[in-house]
Amino acid sequence: MQKNYSSRINFDKSKFFDLHMHGDKELINEAERLGYAGIALTSYFEDYNNDFFNEFEEIEQSTNLILKKCIEISCKNPEELKKKVQKSRKKVDIVMVRGGDLKVNRAACEDRRVDVLSQPYRSRRDTGLNHVLARKAAENNVAIEINLKFFLKTNLRYRYQVISQYRHIMDLQRKFEFPIIITSNSNSKYDLRTPQDIIALSKCFGMTIEESYGAISTTPENIIEINDNRSIFVIDGVKTI
Amino acid sequence: MIQKLKILPPTIRDKKRYIAFELIFHGEIGREDVISMVLDASLYLFGANGAGKFDLWIVKLWPCRTGEDNTENVNEHKMKGILRCRREEVDSVRAVLPTITKFRGKNVVFHTLGISGTIKSATKNFIKL
Repeated sequence: MQKNYSSRINFDKSKFFDLHMHGDKELINEAERLGYAGIALTSYFEDYNNDFFNEFEEIEQSTNLILKKCIEISCKNPEELKKKVQKSRKKVDIVMVRGGDLKVNRAACEDRRVDVLSQPYRSRRDTGLNHVLARKAAENNVAIEINLKFFLKTNLRYRYQVISQYRHIMDLQRKFEFPIIITSNSNSKYDLRTPQDIIALSKCFGMTIEESYGAISTTPENIIEINDNRSIFVIDGVKTI
Repeated sequence: MIQKLKILPPTIRDKKRYIAFELIFHGEIGREDVISMVLDASLYLFGANGAGKFDLWIVKLWPCRTGEDNTENVNEHKMKGILRCRREEVDSVRAVLPTITKFRGKNVVFHTLGISGTIKSATKNFIKL
């Protein structure tokens, strides 16, 4: 008999986070119903303005979920990335950089102010990561994102490519131990999945149950915690009291 | 007279698990559609080799009302159902369900509600009609 069928392992089911969600109030309510504990509402860098801020505050008052502001930066070269990160770091809780270009991937991995590198494999055949970038990401605590919408929206014919990309990322992760997170990147409630389903699905990416649980629970929680305390840390290991 | 095979004794039978699920779809949908959706998705994800081990079967389906405020989404239909599979393959079948995204060009989403050993307890604990 095989050892792992789902009901065997009972983790703490009250701590699931999704750090990438473009949505409104309805979507947040749906996420709460599916069993998430915390959500990062994401805005594109170009769309970040007072309207988003007001909407965020409105939603925050009406739900019990932990809500965080997140900004998604898309840029063409490392200089642009540095400018945009500098601008937005103090405004929001989580800074996410959309990768895909090799230079941008590298710049994001080397920047301590960046929290998440989103889709380094976007519109590429390989993963967009190698051992150098992986080591940098681990040093600077930049999380790599596994994007479920990217997997689900890919044509059925090319899904195998995405699965193999995720597998290669997991191979690197085991060696260099950079943080890894799974996000839904949902626009509507048709993109949301329950946390338990995500754990079952990520077995196809070569992740064990512990790894995938960490990717949607403990790692995002750590990111949120680090960012709550970011203002009081002067440099590594020194904080103002 | 139709010859029938004698039923296997319980010790030799395959062990089963029942997965309770719900689905939200934009439009009308029947039992055959659900079966074809799940089978196609499992074939695409695991191939004939993997899907042959699942012993999939849709046991029951119930149409449900969409939430309380269904004023804006009149076309949205919600269903709950029970899916049977082999005990060893529960994780794989569970992985199949979230990969279903579209049916006839419209959005569809599956959520698993829970896993149970009998139909009775699956209905009682997860379907909750």
